[in-house]
Amino acid sequence: MASPGAIIKSTTRQVKPLLSLDKSEARRRVLNLYKAWYRQIPYVVMDYDIPKTVPDCRKKLREEFDKNRHVQDIRVVDMLVIKGQMELKETVEIWKQKGHIMNYFKETIEPKPQGFLSKFLAGHE
Amino acid sequence: MAAQRQLMRQSYGVFRGMFLQQRCLSVTAQRLRPDDVDKALSVKEAPSKDTKNIFETKEEVERRLKLQENIQIDVPLDLTPVTGVPEEHTRTRRVRIFKPAKNAMQSGTANINRWRMEFETRERWENPLMGWSSSGDPLSNLNVDFADKEEAVAFCEKNGWPWFVEDPVEKVMKPKSYGLNFHWNRNTRVSTK
Repeated sequence: MASPGAIIKSTTRQVKPLLSLDKSEARRRVLNLYKAWYRQIPYVVMDYDIPKTVPDCRKKLREEFDKNRHVQDIRVVDMLVIKGQMELKETVEIWKQKGHIMNYFKETIEPKPQGFLSKFLAGHE
Repeated sequence: MAAQRQLMRQSYGVFRGMFLQQRCLSVTAQRLRPDDVDKALSVKEAPSKDTKNIFETKEEVERRLKLQENIQIDVPLDLTPVTGVPEEHTRTRRVRIFKPAKNAMQSGTANINRWRMEFETRERWENPLMGWSSSGDPLSNLNVDFADKEEAVAFCEKNGWPWFVEDPVEKVMKPKSYGLNFHWNRNTRVSTK
């Protein structure tokens, strides 16, 4: 049985770029997207009439970006930026509804039981 | 080039006759003489430019060409942030990579030389209505075949699943024969006395 550490491979390789040619460019795209969201948030709060304040939403925005802080691959960063732009577009054009915006806060989602005892008490595994 | 010129000269007469008969479709074709052909072939045409890129600046052209080339990346490929698979089903799922065994009921070995990945079992239960087996696990029936185990490992790494490889146990075939039971060297021979 081979363990995950057994296969050593070189990670340096040549790949096709998506949008950015280097890290600084990818970083610039991320910052631009963040700024665009940041500026849009007051309008989002107003248009969608969500029970959140602008600072709340900005905190959530920061959280969503920080979630992918560890990503180093330029192409993955680019793809995340593309997805973020699509989300922003959907939000700005009001293609979303109130619930879609509130989904970022995950208030209605019940957290899954963690640990043996709570899983047992919940009747799962 | 010479052959092409020769061909054009030969066909010139034919074309000319044809065009004159049809009261000429092209004016230039009528005027074409063998020496014109030589001239036309010797003069180089201006390189055609794509109209889409005419107004690009020098930097833009450079960038466009660079985008068609490769860039170097020195981190392992990890698509978990962009695949959209929930976190619950990426880091916590363990994948077993193995070689499926031959069907014991059949002797054919055609489809066993491949590697398969399979997830660990999650909760399953018997459906109270029909007694069918149920599962809430979306990856429970995901079986992917690969040509070799490196491919399977790369796929798991890319998707962020912890994995382990189960190498098949090679069966050593021992030559056996009934007669060997009575060999002089074996202790299995029973004395007749």
